[in-house]
Amino acid sequence: MPTLKINGRKVAVGDDAYLLEACRAAGVEVPTLCNFDGLEPWGGCRLCVVDMSLAKWDDDWFKMVTACNHPVEEGMTVITDSERVLATRRVVLDLLLARCPETPLIQQLAREYGIEETSYQPNPEPTDCILCGLCTRVCDHIGVSAIASTNRGWGREIAPPFNEPPPDCIGCLACAEICPTDHIKFTTSNVQRTIWGKEFEMLRDPTTGEAVITKAQAEHFAARSGVPMSYFETSDKTKRLEMAKTFEKLQVVK
Amino acid sequence: MMKMIYKVSVERCIACGKCELACAFAHGSEGRPSKTRINIHRRGPELGTPVVCFQCDDAACVTVCPTQALVRNEDTGAIDMIRSRCISCRMCVAACPFGNMLWDEVYNCVQKCDLCGGEPRCVPFCPTGAIAWVPAAEAALPPEPLDRESLEVTP
Repeated sequence: MPTLKINGRKVAVGDDAYLLEACRAAGVEVPTLCNFDGLEPWGGCRLCVVDMSLAKWDDDWFKMVTACNHPVEEGMTVITDSERVLATRRVVLDLLLARCPETPLIQQLAREYGIEETSYQPNPEPTDCILCGLCTRVCDHIGVSAIASTNRGWGREIAPPFNEPPPDCIGCLACAEICPTDHIKFTTSNVQRTIWGKEFEMLRDPTTGEAVITKAQAEHFAARSGVPMSYFETSDKTKRLEMAKTFEKLQVVK
Repeated sequence: MMKMIYKVSVERCIACGKCELACAFAHGSEGRPSKTRINIHRRGPELGTPVVCFQCDDAACVTVCPTQALVRNEDTGAIDMIRSRCISCRMCVAACPFGNMLWDEVYNCVQKCDLCGGEPRCVPFCPTGAIAWVPAAEAALPPEPLDRESLEVTP
């Protein structure tokens, strides 16, 4: 188990941990927008930068790295609040605030770093998308890959292929749920769900009419995990009722 | 440490609902009894069947979870939900063949029995011993049927 020194505090973490995990274990908060525990680290938002020095390096030699995807090493020294780290985060937030001037999450984070207003030209068409890539990564992770990042530079955006309803989308809402700024819009009911301009039929319980997932979602996950399709067909309430009925047979009442 | 098992003796349940309340309070869902993780199926006066997570060995919820947010806790034997990994996709709610993965629309996440980290809070509240936290060896013993006639009724 490698031992690291984070802001002067010693902490031991697992061999395959990343710096961000070590920082959190040491009780040091590092801001991040694109990291999610259930997904591989990506290093996209550049907000989690920290100063890092290896044991074999000179004492005053530090390198700036993204904490989320930098593996830990025995004897590492990490400083999360040096002036150049804070300055770098300020630039990132300043740029994000220029892109998303009306997004509460970004406004709040920027304020924490002393930025009330962006020093750049604010985006004339404000968007809530911070291009953190969480939506596309979670979509890839569940084996669907219905959406992706398109175009380059200023015109970069998250979209389905050709901006048309994505044929591969299963309507699981994972992208919308994971979005930190609620940029991805959807509507859902017991009958129908709409996301990315595509309509989905819900898998409804035959007796109560309730639905939590779409038909396409059930098919995808049944094929992927080997869980029989019949498991998905009734609602949790109906299944509890069925289970209680099974146990009633055991219930000998004196 | 002796391996402990959560034992449900359906024949002893009197559907008083104390376990549901204890669960709702213990898990910070503002004591909303509708958000309990143990549900009693009521089917007559003082007659009910408690329905709670089995912590299955080969669990459908774990298999379908796309982000490995459901993991076995080796200490307690429970399948724990790791909130920071959950993407709220509700696949486990749909997949659990017993309906024991519960959706909480207030917290926008799934609620499941985690055996309270090895000390189920519902157990001390059960007046008839219908739910119990017992060593694994004892769990296999058939439960004593409840002598309902002898139950004291307090107004």
